[in-house]
Amino acid sequence: MSNLNTKAVANNTYDAIVVGSGISGGWAAKELTEKGLKVLLLERGRNIEHLKDYTTAMKKPWEFEHRGKITEAQKATHPVQIRDYPYTEFNESFWVDDKECPYTEVKRFDWYRGFHVGGKSLMWGRQSYRFSDLNFEDNAKDGHGVDWPIRYKDLSAWYDYVEKFAGISGQAENWPALPDGQFLPPMDMNCVEKDVKKRIEDKWKKERIMTIGRVANLTVPHGGRGQCQYRNLCSRGCPFGAYFSTQSSTLPAAVATGNLTLRPYSLVNTIIYDKETQKAKGVVVIDSETKESIEYYAKIVFVNGSTLGSTFLLLNSTSEEFPDGLGNGSGELGHNLMDHHFRCGASGRAEGFDDKYTYGKRANGIYVPRYQNMGNDKKRDYVRGFGYQGGASRGNWHSEVAELAFGGDFKDLMTVPGAWTMGLGGFGESLPYHENRVYIDKSKKDKWGQPVLAIDCEFKDNERKMRIDMMDDAAEMLEASGIKDVKTYDNGSIPGMAIHEMGTARMGLDPKTSVLNKWNQMHEVKNVFVTDGSCMTSAACQNPSLTYMALTARACDFAVKELKAGNL
Amino acid sequence: MDRRAAVKNMAFLMGGALSATTIGVFLDSCNSPSTPASGSLFTENQLLLITGVADLIIPTTSTPGAKAAGVGPFIALMIKDCYPADAQKAFVKGLEDLEKQSKDKFSKAFLELSPDQHKQIMDELREKTLADLKVENDDLERKRVEQENDISKKSEKDGLANSMSPKAPKQTLPRFFPIIRDLTILGYFTSEIGATKAMAFVEIPGRYDGCTDLKPGQKVWS
Repeated sequence: MSNLNTKAVANNTYDAIVVGSGISGGWAAKELTEKGLKVLLLERGRNIEHLKDYTTAMKKPWEFEHRGKITEAQKATHPVQIRDYPYTEFNESFWVDDKECPYTEVKRFDWYRGFHVGGKSLMWGRQSYRFSDLNFEDNAKDGHGVDWPIRYKDLSAWYDYVEKFAGISGQAENWPALPDGQFLPPMDMNCVEKDVKKRIEDKWKKERIMTIGRVANLTVPHGGRGQCQYRNLCSRGCPFGAYFSTQSSTLPAAVATGNLTLRPYSLVNTIIYDKETQKAKGVVVIDSETKESIEYYAKIVFVNGSTLGSTFLLLNSTSEEFPDGLGNGSGELGHNLMDHHFRCGASGRAEGFDDKYTYGKRANGIYVPRYQNMGNDKKRDYVRGFGYQGGASRGNWHSEVAELAFGGDFKDLMTVPGAWTMGLGGFGESLPYHENRVYIDKSKKDKWGQPVLAIDCEFKDNERKMRIDMMDDAAEMLEASGIKDVKTYDNGSIPGMAIHEMGTARMGLDPKTSVLNKWNQMHEVKNVFVTDGSCMTSAACQNPSLTYMALTARACDFAVKELKAGNL
Repeated sequence: MDRRAAVKNMAFLMGGALSATTIGVFLDSCNSPSTPASGSLFTENQLLLITGVADLIIPTTSTPGAKAAGVGPFIALMIKDCYPADAQKAFVKGLEDLEKQSKDKFSKAFLELSPDQHKQIMDELREKTLADLKVENDDLERKRVEQENDISKKSEKDGLANSMSPKAPKQTLPRFFPIIRDLTILGYFTSEIGATKAMAFVEIPGRYDGCTDLKPGQKVWS
């Protein structure tokens, strides 16, 4: 340390470093700066400025050269991103060039990434559900994975806190497996959905319910942000700031404190471990434009680089004390990878509503919370369960149109509202299998000279058995609701596809079997906190981002208290 | 004098020193109606033909049709940018076949046919495509069943449950009529004319009402 330039070190020293600017990193930056810490927020990609850089947000359909389709040239540079629907011309600049950041698929894993300020908070699906004690207790009850170190009572006030700021619209239902929150007014169901809801809840005597999706879109103006305009173009970035993203919500709050330094193009390569203090002392950043290497120092480090991004960083941060990755004495780092399995359910045609239509485009659907393996539900041949997302809509589909029809009559029919359809698609929990894991593969390098991640993950029998019910229960509920021509489907599901990957640096009570404690603090490196999806001990079946927000705010509160108490 | 003749004359003036290939390059760069301009897959005639076919798929009714909405150039661009080589080839061949059929049957270029003649050729094209697709689909289905039987025999042996892998999309051969029909529908209903006149376009609805009364004449929202 003798030849260290002390002035440069001082210039590169902050109270806290936050790695990653997506949903959880944005929250960490907001909470830590609001508590008075000088924070350096590091983002590996470019900056995207709120409003100004949503370059396609106000484009009309005919202003897109390929009307949303992807070109052959884009297919060649984005072989992973093209595997499913999210990557389109409408927001193609929000997705990574797969050639720059390869990974090894021991088994197929679809890894969707966005390298820019805001991360996936710009493109996320915005569905926001609380976990319940059913979820926090499942691991302990059925023996899969390790016990969560927290229960619902530890998190409920933090859910309140983040919901009040983020703005979540929804309907209180008093459903035990899906706790109510601090909701803005719910969005409207359409007339078919209202009818299906009533019939399901009558038939199952409220042991199954259907509610409007709880979604991070503002139904009334909130916190200086405009309300949803019902264009359903959210994934391009919202010119009204009407859905929660880093840009619309947490970043302006952090900037307003005067305590934030945001540095884009800053790929964090390693966390530096100091064996004397037994803490992290900072990070090594690769400038992703110049490839220059720079060190930054801080008293605490929050790791929020997305589940697999954070896990890669920890695995890549090796030292004499931690040869297998920072804080990996348990050997669990990189293991227990989970994702939801979906693309499976039923749909059909609704009759009797031909005189009804809708106005506006609702960027939200309906939700049927988990009812399996709880209450008086029938015996199932698998553990855990699933929820449904779906909805009814009326487009220009007409059953009488012949195959490959054309001409004037065909054209005119295509301009008239057609049949109502209603669908339910399951989102199922997957179990934390130790053997579903990621590790570093040194045989390849990314654009910045780093080794790559190898991903070895698959769904197993519990998930496969669940999918039978995901189809059959959907069909049963639709048929009970008078829906006609009900058809089930299973389009297959591969880990990664739901973009709910989580679990590779799990929380737990025992340092021997988990990476993080109940405060998202590394058991072995007390000033490092990991609060993105990698911390999850189980996946439940709800969309997880709201839980990442609540865990992050809670961990920040703890970290600052510990810092002030001189414990970090 | 047409361009082809002009180039041939030039070759003659130069003592016949130009090879057939070079003449070909000259011809290409001359953008003649019967050869594609450089960088384009289509001849001028074929571009007109694409527009003509699109306008038969979505003609002018009480609202303007595909031609007025600029769907022809859109289709040409899409074929060039968004389709692999085998589909591009199938598409160009489809245009050539259409022209040939028109000549064989009515001794006229496709674009010079009467409405009845157009209908006859387009109906035949659709029926032939459906028949070809049926043969191909039956064949694919037969292969799929065979394969599944193989897999289920194998997985019984290996004790594997059914796989959760997404099924590969059905690989039918690229065909001219479904491609031009798909692109006409996409191009038309996302064009300004299609989205705002044939359908109803509201740029910023501002609210959501899940249960309105369908008014007479209400078009579908674009």
